[in-house]
Amino acid sequence: MIEVRGLTKHYGAVRAVDDLTFEVRPGKVTGFLGPNGAGKSTTMRMVLGLDRPSAGSALVAGRPFARLAEPLRTAGALLDAQAVHPGRSGRDHLRVAARANGIPLRRVDEVVDQVGLGPASRRRVKGYSLGMRQRLGIATALLGDPAVLLFDEPMNGLDLDGVRWIRRLVRQLADEGRTVLLSSHLMSEMEQTADHLVIIGRGRLIADASMAEVMRGEGAHRQVQVRTPSPDELAGALLRRQLRVHPTDIGDLLVEGASPETVGDVALEVGVAVHRLAEVQNSLEQIYLDLTGDSVQYRVAAEPEPAGTVQR
Amino acid sequence: MSAAVLAPPTTGTGTVFLRAAGAEWVRLRTVRTTWACLLAAAVVIVGLGAIAAADEAEGTATASNPVVSTFAGEYGVLLGQFGLLVLALLAVTQEYASGSIGPTLQWTPRRGVLLAARVVVPTVAVTVIGVLLALVADLVALLIDPELTLPLGDAVAGLARIAAVLVAGSLLAVGVGLLLRSTAAGLATVFLLQLVLPFLMQSFNVGWLADLAEWLPGTGAVRTLLGEPDSLSLGGALALLACWSVAAVAAGSWRLLRRDAG
Repeated sequence: MIEVRGLTKHYGAVRAVDDLTFEVRPGKVTGFLGPNGAGKSTTMRMVLGLDRPSAGSALVAGRPFARLAEPLRTAGALLDAQAVHPGRSGRDHLRVAARANGIPLRRVDEVVDQVGLGPASRRRVKGYSLGMRQRLGIATALLGDPAVLLFDEPMNGLDLDGVRWIRRLVRQLADEGRTVLLSSHLMSEMEQTADHLVIIGRGRLIADASMAEVMRGEGAHRQVQVRTPSPDELAGALLRRQLRVHPTDIGDLLVEGASPETVGDVALEVGVAVHRLAEVQNSLEQIYLDLTGDSVQYRVAAEPEPAGTVQR
Repeated sequence: MSAAVLAPPTTGTGTVFLRAAGAEWVRLRTVRTTWACLLAAAVVIVGLGAIAAADEAEGTATASNPVVSTFAGEYGVLLGQFGLLVLALLAVTQEYASGSIGPTLQWTPRRGVLLAARVVVPTVAVTVIGVLLALVADLVALLIDPELTLPLGDAVAGLARIAAVLVAGSLLAVGVGLLLRSTAAGLATVFLLQLVLPFLMQSFNVGWLADLAEWLPGTGAVRTLLGEPDSLSLGGALALLACWSVAAVAAGSWRLLRRDAG
């Protein structure tokens, strides 16, 4: 369990993280989403006690991380796979971590095997590919068999096999009852991996909801697709109830801001047959863009409108 | 489930420190830079000592007027200390260059404990190795010039002064490294304070510059090792070294304890 309460960090006048409050619960993969510069990494660094919050607090397993005596047994994290001394071997890197937390050396061999680093672990990190460094970072996070795991962009730089491996790994870790916080800008990966989403933009919380809730597109994003032999009649009834209705290419109706229950009830009232009734699954990518649209920090300047079309 | 099972295992601060120190020791041993620095220090300390002894062999030592061979280790350490100080500095600054201070603080998040380990381990390592190398230089000098002597009391006193210089130098290097978090800036600062400025400022024959140079740690180190300049007493030199060490470690501690990891 990770509890973030009112977490705030400013650098001078810039508010990198702005009064963020959320919880990451065990047994689930929680996706941490946001555009670049949204404050994901800064938040994770504050949770791990690396950066000092300007205000607010974060607890890991009920305690401030910076007070833990054997932190790797409580929480493991991969923040930056490049942050390893290039002249040390992967195995020696793990040995240092084990030594600092009183973890037996055989665990080093176990995690080296678990992440598939194998004999490369005895080579110096200097020669590692980014993917190998990611595996080393994950091995370090798993070393203390912790209940809480934080991964910042772990799929970055991995090939397809690596991405699949991470996806299976985080699923397995969550199924074992662990708390897993996973940041990624790869929406499609989140869609396949996360159970719960915490979405931030410009350091502020935008959404904290289950994947199902986000995918359903709560509120204005909700859409229902309905197929009926009498579309005109049904559309008229729906329009009378102030619902927005569009015809689709295949002759179905798309109803905005309504639940399937509402649409079905309306059809029954006006005595129209319904052949298909379904909520539209928005792609996470689209929802994400809709949600964060206002908060993209480094937006490409909008194209100026062509002269003569401005009507104001 | 009983309360005893629910309570987290308590690990005392002493244990956490010993583990952190053990981790620092593994860190030092598992990079080549450490061994390169040691090799450089060994070559300079023993080599310079041998050259000094060979020079002395043509000089004043006779059976009736014996010269103690500790000068070999002292001259050796005068320059050879820099290999050791670079080792201590890199132990700190390389973590900021590679970003591995992040993982380090994830493994030992109690910064006071990490600070203690980070200051103690390189300082002890550098001092023990430097003193041993100086002893080797003294013994090699005896072989080169049989007229030299090495009474136990003189040997212990000479090595103790070398130890004081190396402890102070390591603390300066570690403190500066923690404060500046940069290998280049740290090297420049330590070299200027410990070697370049004391000699440069005295070479201009400007009174106040020379006076100012007497307050630098390098002057204290030279005085402690060679007994010059005699305007500064041994006690004064040691006090000067202690002040610089305390100031450097205090400044470095502030940066590690109070600021973001970096």
